[in-house]
Amino acid sequence: MISVGKIKQYANVLEKPVSRGRQEVSLSAFAFLFSELVQYNQTQVDNIAELERRLEDAGYAVGARVLELLCHREKGNRRETRLLGILSFVHSTVWKVLFGKVADSLEKGTEHEDEYMISEKELLVNRFISIPKDMGAFNCGAFVAGIVKGVLDNAGFPAVVTAHFVPMEGQQRPRTTILIKFAEEVLRREARLG
Amino acid sequence: MIVCVAVVGHQNNPLYLQSFTEADDALKLHHIVHCSLDVVDERVNNPKKSGPTLNETFLGMLYPTENYKVYGYLTNTKVKFLMVTTDLDVKDADVRSFFRRFHAAYVDAVSNPFHVPGKKITSNAFAERVSGIVKSFGPVTTG
Repeated sequence: MISVGKIKQYANVLEKPVSRGRQEVSLSAFAFLFSELVQYNQTQVDNIAELERRLEDAGYAVGARVLELLCHREKGNRRETRLLGILSFVHSTVWKVLFGKVADSLEKGTEHEDEYMISEKELLVNRFISIPKDMGAFNCGAFVAGIVKGVLDNAGFPAVVTAHFVPMEGQQRPRTTILIKFAEEVLRREARLG
Repeated sequence: MIVCVAVVGHQNNPLYLQSFTEADDALKLHHIVHCSLDVVDERVNNPKKSGPTLNETFLGMLYPTENYKVYGYLTNTKVKFLMVTTDLDVKDADVRSFFRRFHAAYVDAVSNPFHVPGKKITSNAFAERVSGIVKSFGPVTTG
Protein backbone atom coordinates (compact mmCIF):
# COMPACT_ATOMS: atom_id res chain seq x y z
CA MET A 1 0.00 0.00 0.00
CA ILE A 2 2.77 2.41 0.90
CA SER A 3 4.66 1.73 -2.33
CA VAL A 4 1.54 2.36 -4.41
CA GLY A 5 1.17 5.73 -2.70
CA LYS A 6 4.77 6.60 -3.54
CA ILE A 7 4.31 5.77 -7.20
CA LYS A 8 1.25 7.98 -7.34
CA GLN A 9 3.28 10.88 -6.00
CA TYR A 10 5.96 10.40 -8.64
CA ALA A 11 3.33 10.20 -11.35
CA ASN A 12 2.05 13.61 -10.32
CA VAL A 13 5.53 15.09 -10.47
CA LEU A 14 6.00 13.72 -13.95
CA GLU A 15 2.71 15.17 -15.06
CA LYS A 16 3.69 18.66 -14.06
CA PRO A 17 4.36 20.69 -17.20
CA VAL A 18 8.03 21.42 -17.71
CA SER A 19 8.47 25.13 -17.17
CA ARG A 20 10.71 27.16 -19.41
CA GLY A 21 12.79 27.98 -16.36
CA ARG A 22 14.27 31.29 -15.35
CA GLN A 23 15.81 32.99 -18.32
CA GLU A 24 18.67 34.43 -16.33
CA VAL A 25 22.15 33.11 -15.68
CA SER A 26 24.29 34.59 -12.90
CA LEU A 27 26.68 37.21 -14.29
CA SER A 28 29.49 36.22 -11.96
CA ALA A 29 29.24 32.58 -13.01
CA PHE A 30 29.51 33.59 -16.64
CA ALA A 31 32.38 36.01 -15.91
CA PHE A 32 34.34 33.25 -14.14
CA LEU A 33 33.72 30.82 -16.98
CA PHE A 34 34.69 33.38 -19.61
CA SER A 35 37.87 34.33 -17.75
CA GLU A 36 38.82 30.65 -17.57
CA LEU A 37 38.18 30.34 -21.29
CA VAL A 38 40.48 33.28 -22.05
CA GLN A 39 43.17 32.06 -19.65
CA TYR A 40 43.10 28.54 -21.05
CA ASN A 41 43.44 29.79 -24.60
CA GLN A 42 46.24 32.12 -23.55
CA THR A 43 48.35 29.19 -22.40
CA GLN A 44 47.87 27.39 -25.69
CA VAL A 45 48.97 30.13 -28.10
CA ASP A 46 51.98 32.38 -28.39
CA ASN A 47 50.62 35.41 -30.19
CA ILE A 48 47.64 37.75 -30.02
CA ALA A 49 46.19 37.00 -33.43
CA GLU A 50 45.94 33.31 -32.65
CA LEU A 51 44.22 34.07 -29.34
CA GLU A 52 41.68 36.23 -31.10
CA ARG A 53 41.05 33.53 -33.66
CA ARG A 54 40.45 30.93 -30.95
CA LEU A 55 37.95 33.12 -29.15
CA GLU A 56 36.22 33.77 -32.45
CA ASP A 57 36.00 30.03 -33.17
CA ALA A 58 34.48 29.45 -29.75
CA GLY A 59 31.90 32.15 -30.45
CA TYR A 60 31.16 30.72 -33.91
CA ALA A 61 29.91 27.45 -32.44
CA VAL A 62 27.64 29.39 -30.08
CA GLY A 63 26.33 31.55 -32.90
CA ALA A 64 25.37 28.57 -35.05
CA ARG A 65 23.31 27.03 -32.26
CA VAL A 66 21.77 30.32 -31.18
CA LEU A 67 20.52 30.88 -34.72
CA GLU A 68 18.78 27.50 -34.85
CA LEU A 69 17.26 27.96 -31.42
CA LEU A 70 16.00 31.49 -31.99
CA CYS A 71 14.57 30.78 -35.40
CA HIS A 72 12.56 27.98 -33.97
CA ARG A 73 11.50 29.74 -30.78
CA GLU A 74 10.89 33.32 -31.76
CA LYS A 75 10.55 33.64 -35.47
CA GLY A 76 7.76 31.21 -36.23
CA ASN A 77 7.67 30.63 -39.94
CA ARG A 78 9.81 33.44 -41.22
CA ARG A 79 13.19 32.99 -42.87
CA GLU A 80 15.48 35.97 -43.32
CA THR A 81 16.61 36.59 -46.88
CA ARG A 82 17.35 40.33 -46.82
CA LEU A 83 20.48 41.97 -45.47
CA LEU A 84 18.67 44.55 -43.36
CA GLY A 85 16.42 41.81 -42.03
CA ILE A 86 19.23 39.62 -40.75
CA LEU A 87 21.12 42.63 -39.35
CA SER A 88 18.16 43.85 -37.33
CA PHE A 89 17.56 40.27 -36.20
CA VAL A 90 21.12 40.14 -34.82
CA HIS A 91 20.89 43.63 -33.39
CA SER A 92 17.67 43.10 -31.44
CA THR A 93 16.66 39.46 -31.00
CA VAL A 94 20.09 37.84 -30.63
CA TRP A 95 21.37 40.59 -28.36
CA LYS A 96 18.22 40.46 -26.24
CA VAL A 97 18.50 36.71 -25.70
CA LEU A 98 22.22 36.74 -25.00
CA PHE A 99 22.70 39.98 -23.09
CA GLY A 100 19.20 40.93 -21.91
CA LYS A 101 18.98 44.15 -23.91
CA VAL A 102 19.15 45.26 -27.55
CA ALA A 103 22.46 46.53 -28.89
CA ASP A 104 23.11 50.24 -28.59
CA SER A 105 23.24 51.09 -32.26
CA LEU A 106 23.44 49.68 -35.77
CA GLU A 107 25.16 51.80 -38.40
CA LYS A 108 26.10 51.51 -42.02
CA GLY A 109 29.73 52.18 -42.87
CA THR A 110 30.41 55.33 -44.86
CA GLU A 111 33.58 54.33 -46.65
CA HIS A 112 32.57 50.93 -48.02
CA GLU A 113 29.25 49.59 -49.22
CA ASP A 114 29.65 46.26 -47.50
CA GLU A 115 30.47 47.38 -43.97
CA TYR A 116 28.06 47.62 -41.05
CA MET A 117 28.75 48.34 -37.40
CA ILE A 118 27.00 47.30 -34.20
CA SER A 119 28.13 49.43 -31.26
CA GLU A 120 27.84 48.86 -27.58
CA LYS A 121 28.94 51.18 -24.79
CA GLU A 122 30.43 48.24 -22.94
CA LEU A 123 30.16 44.60 -23.95
CA LEU A 124 28.92 42.32 -21.19
CA VAL A 125 31.82 39.95 -21.70
CA ASN A 126 34.32 42.79 -21.22
CA ARG A 127 32.76 44.11 -18.02
CA PHE A 128 35.33 42.58 -15.68
CA ILE A 129 38.26 42.52 -18.08
CA SER A 130 41.01 45.09 -18.45
CA ILE A 131 43.56 44.53 -21.17
CA PRO A 132 47.24 44.92 -20.14
CA LYS A 133 49.15 47.55 -22.13
CA ASP A 134 51.47 45.06 -23.79
CA MET A 135 48.62 43.28 -25.52
CA GLY A 136 47.95 46.21 -27.75
CA ALA A 137 44.63 46.27 -29.52
CA PHE A 138 43.36 42.91 -28.36
CA ASN A 139 39.68 42.79 -27.51
CA CYS A 140 37.93 39.91 -25.78
CA GLY A 141 34.89 40.99 -27.71
CA ALA A 142 36.32 38.67 -30.36
CA PHE A 143 34.08 36.09 -28.70
CA VAL A 144 30.99 38.17 -29.45
CA ALA A 145 32.30 38.83 -32.96
CA GLY A 146 32.51 35.05 -33.36
CA ILE A 147 28.90 34.67 -32.25
CA VAL A 148 27.74 37.22 -34.83
CA LYS A 149 29.84 35.51 -37.50
CA GLY A 150 28.27 32.16 -36.60
CA VAL A 151 24.77 33.59 -36.92
CA LEU A 152 25.45 35.33 -40.24
CA ASP A 153 27.38 32.46 -41.83
CA ASN A 154 24.74 29.87 -41.06
CA ALA A 155 21.93 32.12 -42.23
CA GLY A 156 23.55 32.36 -45.65
CA PHE A 157 25.33 35.74 -45.31
CA PRO A 158 29.07 35.00 -45.15
CA ALA A 159 30.97 37.86 -43.54
CA VAL A 160 34.19 38.81 -41.77
CA VAL A 161 33.40 40.08 -38.29
CA THR A 162 35.84 41.79 -35.92
CA ALA A 163 35.63 43.68 -32.64
CA HIS A 164 37.32 47.06 -32.12
CA PHE A 165 37.72 49.62 -29.41
CA VAL A 166 36.68 53.12 -30.43
CA PRO A 167 37.79 55.83 -28.01
CA MET A 168 35.12 58.41 -27.19
CA GLU A 169 35.79 61.88 -25.83
CA GLY A 170 34.38 62.49 -22.43
CA GLN A 171 34.29 58.81 -21.48
CA GLN A 172 36.97 56.93 -19.68
CA ARG A 173 36.39 53.53 -21.27
CA PRO A 174 36.27 53.28 -25.04
CA ARG A 175 33.16 52.13 -26.85
CA THR A 176 33.20 48.70 -28.48
CA THR A 177 32.24 48.28 -32.11
CA ILE A 178 31.59 45.03 -33.94
CA LEU A 179 32.54 45.56 -37.57
CA ILE A 180 30.75 43.35 -40.10
CA LYS A 181 32.13 43.12 -43.62
CA PHE A 182 29.94 41.10 -45.95
CA ALA A 183 31.28 38.90 -48.74
CA GLU A 184 30.90 39.82 -52.41
CA GLU A 185 28.16 37.29 -53.13
CA VAL A 186 25.91 38.70 -50.41
CA LEU A 187 25.97 42.16 -51.98
CA ARG A 188 25.41 40.74 -55.45
CA ARG A 189 22.41 38.74 -54.24
CA GLU A 190 21.04 41.74 -52.40
CA ALA A 191 21.33 43.87 -55.53
CA ARG A 192 19.57 41.18 -57.54
CA LEU A 193 16.68 40.98 -55.10
CA GLY A 194 16.17 44.69 -55.49
CA MET B 1 1.25 6.65 -41.78
CA ILE B 2 4.66 8.16 -41.99
CA VAL B 3 7.14 5.84 -43.65
CA CYS B 4 10.28 7.95 -43.70
CA VAL B 5 11.77 11.16 -42.29
CA ALA B 6 15.02 12.77 -43.37
CA VAL B 7 17.17 15.71 -42.36
CA VAL B 8 19.39 17.10 -45.11
CA GLY B 9 22.08 19.73 -44.53
CA HIS B 10 22.59 22.93 -46.43
CA GLN B 11 24.96 21.34 -48.93
CA ASN B 12 22.45 18.56 -49.53
CA ASN B 13 24.46 16.19 -47.36
CA PRO B 14 22.29 13.73 -45.40
CA LEU B 15 22.29 14.29 -41.65
CA TYR B 16 19.63 11.86 -40.53
CA LEU B 17 17.62 9.27 -42.40
CA GLN B 18 15.12 6.97 -40.74
CA SER B 19 12.44 4.76 -42.24
CA PHE B 20 9.55 3.33 -40.29
CA THR B 21 8.42 0.38 -42.36
CA GLU B 22 9.45 -3.23 -41.96
CA ALA B 23 9.45 -3.84 -45.68
CA ASP B 24 12.80 -3.74 -47.43
CA ASP B 25 11.92 -0.99 -49.85
CA ALA B 26 13.77 1.41 -47.58
CA LEU B 27 16.16 2.08 -50.44
CA LYS B 28 13.26 3.19 -52.62
CA LEU B 29 12.23 5.66 -49.91
CA HIS B 30 15.73 7.07 -49.75
CA HIS B 31 15.59 7.47 -53.51
CA ILE B 32 12.31 9.38 -53.27
CA VAL B 33 13.81 11.65 -50.60
CA HIS B 34 16.78 12.31 -52.86
CA CYS B 35 14.57 13.28 -55.79
CA SER B 36 12.55 15.63 -53.61
CA LEU B 37 15.68 17.61 -52.84
CA ASP B 38 15.60 18.87 -56.42
CA VAL B 39 12.08 20.14 -55.91
CA VAL B 40 13.16 21.98 -52.76
CA ASP B 41 16.02 23.65 -54.58
CA GLU B 42 13.75 24.66 -57.40
CA ARG B 43 11.24 26.21 -55.00
CA VAL B 44 13.93 28.11 -53.14
CA ASN B 45 15.78 29.48 -56.13
CA ASN B 46 12.93 30.39 -58.47
CA PRO B 47 10.11 31.86 -56.47
CA LYS B 48 6.87 32.06 -58.39
CA LYS B 49 6.10 35.29 -56.66
CA SER B 50 8.78 36.93 -54.56
CA GLY B 51 7.82 38.35 -51.20
CA PRO B 52 5.87 36.41 -48.59
CA THR B 53 6.32 32.97 -50.11
CA LEU B 54 10.07 33.41 -50.25
CA ASN B 55 10.27 33.50 -46.47
CA GLU B 56 8.07 30.62 -45.46
CA THR B 57 9.69 27.72 -43.69
CA PHE B 58 6.97 25.21 -44.50
CA LEU B 59 7.19 24.27 -48.18
CA GLY B 60 4.12 22.09 -48.41
CA MET B 61 3.67 19.03 -50.58
CA LEU B 62 6.61 18.59 -52.86
CA TYR B 63 6.13 15.45 -54.81
CA PRO B 64 3.19 13.08 -55.14
CA THR B 65 3.95 9.60 -56.44
CA GLU B 66 1.54 6.74 -56.86
CA ASN B 67 1.19 5.90 -53.19
CA TYR B 68 3.45 8.35 -51.37
CA LYS B 69 3.40 12.03 -50.68
CA VAL B 70 6.47 14.03 -49.70
CA TYR B 71 6.33 17.16 -47.55
CA GLY B 72 9.18 19.61 -47.05
CA TYR B 73 10.26 22.18 -44.48
CA LEU B 74 13.19 24.55 -44.70
CA THR B 75 14.88 26.10 -41.66
CA ASN B 76 16.74 29.37 -41.49
CA THR B 77 20.09 27.65 -41.88
CA LYS B 78 19.07 25.98 -45.16
CA VAL B 79 18.65 22.65 -43.37
CA LYS B 80 15.79 20.72 -44.92
CA PHE B 81 13.38 18.33 -43.27
CA LEU B 82 11.56 15.86 -45.53
CA MET B 83 8.69 13.59 -44.62
CA VAL B 84 7.28 10.75 -46.74
CA THR B 85 3.78 9.56 -45.91
CA THR B 86 1.31 7.04 -47.31
CA ASP B 87 -1.81 8.73 -46.05
CA LEU B 88 -4.22 9.94 -48.65
CA ASP B 89 -6.03 12.61 -46.65
CA VAL B 90 -3.49 14.45 -44.56
CA LYS B 91 -4.47 17.83 -43.24
CA ASP B 92 -2.07 20.72 -43.70
CA ALA B 93 -2.28 21.66 -40.02
CA ASP B 94 -1.20 18.17 -38.97
CA VAL B 95 1.90 18.30 -41.14
CA ARG B 96 2.77 21.78 -39.88
CA SER B 97 2.52 20.72 -36.25
CA PHE B 98 4.58 17.61 -37.03
CA PHE B 99 7.34 19.75 -38.50
CA ARG B 100 7.22 22.16 -35.60
CA ARG B 101 7.83 19.36 -33.11
CA PHE B 102 10.47 17.86 -35.37
CA HIS B 103 12.21 21.23 -35.54
CA ALA B 104 12.21 21.43 -31.72
CA ALA B 105 13.84 17.99 -31.49
CA TYR B 106 16.37 19.02 -34.14
CA VAL B 107 17.29 22.23 -32.31
CA ASP B 108 17.87 20.27 -29.12
CA ALA B 109 20.09 17.76 -30.92
CA VAL B 110 22.16 20.51 -32.57
CA SER B 111 22.62 22.41 -29.28
CA ASN B 112 24.74 19.51 -28.08
CA PRO B 113 28.27 20.96 -27.80
CA PHE B 114 29.72 17.67 -28.99
CA HIS B 115 27.73 17.72 -32.18
CA VAL B 116 29.77 18.83 -35.17
CA PRO B 117 27.62 20.81 -37.58
CA GLY B 118 27.64 19.04 -40.93
CA LYS B 119 28.16 15.57 -39.54
CA LYS B 120 25.43 12.99 -39.07
CA ILE B 121 23.24 13.29 -36.01
CA THR B 122 24.17 10.33 -33.83
CA SER B 123 22.21 11.14 -30.69
CA ASN B 124 20.02 8.30 -29.46
CA ALA B 125 17.77 10.70 -27.62
CA PHE B 126 17.02 12.46 -30.90
CA ALA B 127 16.15 9.14 -32.57
CA GLU B 128 13.79 8.26 -29.74
CA ARG B 129 12.10 11.64 -29.81
CA VAL B 130 11.61 11.39 -33.55
CA SER B 131 10.01 7.94 -33.23
CA GLY B 132 7.73 9.34 -30.54
CA ILE B 133 6.67 12.24 -32.77
CA VAL B 134 6.11 9.95 -35.76
CA LYS B 135 3.99 7.56 -33.70
CA SER B 136 1.74 10.34 -32.49
CA PHE B 137 1.25 11.77 -35.96
CA GLY B 138 -2.29 11.63 -37.13
CA PRO B 139 -5.55 13.53 -37.20
CA VAL B 140 -6.05 15.35 -33.92
CA THR B 141 -9.09 13.79 -32.27
CA THR B 142 -11.30 15.96 -30.09
CA GLY B 143 -12.98 14.48 -27.05
